[in-house]
Amino acid sequence: MKLRVDLDLCAGHGRCYEIAPELFGEDEAGHCVLLVETVPPALTDRARRAADNCPESAIGIE
Amino acid sequence: MSVDAFDAEAGTINVVAPEFTLRPHATMLEMVERCPVARIQYTDWPVLSRYEDVAWALRHPEIFSSDLGELLALGNVRPMIPQQIDPPLQTRYRKILDSQFTKKAVNRIEPALREHARNLIAAVLDAGECEFDSAFAIPLPCKAFLEFMGLPVEEMDHFLALKNGVIRPDAHPADLARCTELRAETGRQIYAYFEDLIDQRTRAPREDLMTYLVQVELEGRRLSREEILDICYLFLLGGLDTVTATLGCNIAYLAENAEQRRRISQDSGCVEAVVEELLRWQTPVTLLPRVLKQPVDLRGVHMAAGQVVNLMISAADLDAAEFPRAGEVDFDRDRNRHLAFGLGPHRCLGSHLARLEVRVGLEEWHRLIPDYAIKPGEIPRVSPGIREFQYLPLVWPGVA
Repeated sequence: MKLRVDLDLCAGHGRCYEIAPELFGEDEAGHCVLLVETVPPALTDRARRAADNCPESAIGIE
Repeated sequence: MSVDAFDAEAGTINVVAPEFTLRPHATMLEMVERCPVARIQYTDWPVLSRYEDVAWALRHPEIFSSDLGELLALGNVRPMIPQQIDPPLQTRYRKILDSQFTKKAVNRIEPALREHARNLIAAVLDAGECEFDSAFAIPLPCKAFLEFMGLPVEEMDHFLALKNGVIRPDAHPADLARCTELRAETGRQIYAYFEDLIDQRTRAPREDLMTYLVQVELEGRRLSREEILDICYLFLLGGLDTVTATLGCNIAYLAENAEQRRRISQDSGCVEAVVEELLRWQTPVTLLPRVLKQPVDLRGVHMAAGQVVNLMISAADLDAAEFPRAGEVDFDRDRNRHLAFGLGPHRCLGSHLARLEVRVGLEEWHRLIPDYAIKPGEIPRVSPGIREFQYLPLVWPGVA
């Protein structure tokens, strides 16, 4: 499982780094920073939840 | 009860009706279902209530502009920054402001916030009762925010009077002329206060948000005096009102729903989810105003350019098309993309601070007062627009 973030859509809600801090961090403005590109198998559910809860639908999963 | 506030035949909603402000859910669910473009009684402004429509509007500031000018006078003589200006200029201001309100930046106030909460609870605990708004919901976030900004906490009552003079002027909400007059009067006092404070921080810088505003550079230049005033005006209104409303909405719901309330005492790890679900269920800022830059046709309704449109985010948060079992409160919801903090470029600047304040408030309250109810025989009073439980009498079992 691979993650993508559309930074043009990210508005800094911070749901992703609240839900899955192992996968997402925040930059200086509180916008999303991807910490890993490939999701470890143990974290796939968490990755899905973070993507599902992004109000801007900025997180893509492949 | 919902029939009174919402006239399905005329498609009008009376958002100031006390039965609507206290118990709006049945009415809002009916609006989402039957009348996605209704009109607000008194102003006749269209009000959108479906999630899809509201989210679309929030993502298109070039159509749904925040530059309301005279149309929604809150006592300010220039647009508040960044709330009442549109991208791309708005985005440039957000660049210098966002960094001060990140999760990391707000987390530093958590210890002080917790201490404030404990002190406020200690003051009422033995009495076995309190009026929640004045005892907790007002002072907790307001103290925290004044400290966060670098404003004197001992002058809290003065700041609250200024904020209330703008948001809830002492006149009937339908008497727009009188409301506008009162707001303008208060607005002059707000500008005068911050004019003075800018001088103070310019002369004697401190480690606070006010000093940051005086010193920060926007694309190679300092902010002008007017720009700082326009930011402070918004901070005063945003920082001193909305979390108070959120805390009251949450505690009022939990007071009447013992089973849900017990989840908090039994599993402190669930509080984050409780905060999110109650932001959805009790979205405290109910209406976001916008003005149309071009004509819009939506669900068979024509809206002209220049028309003020209200986005009812509190109703959109009950839309079953976005939220399965939308009419039920579910702390275990897998997906909760509520609109309580808006969406797109204008996402609430203070959302991380608000989440922290509400979470800490709920944690500390339930640690010491896990069981409570609305005082028998009393009816809470809730303000329209931003739903503040202005009268919320609570009782709890005495501490032996």
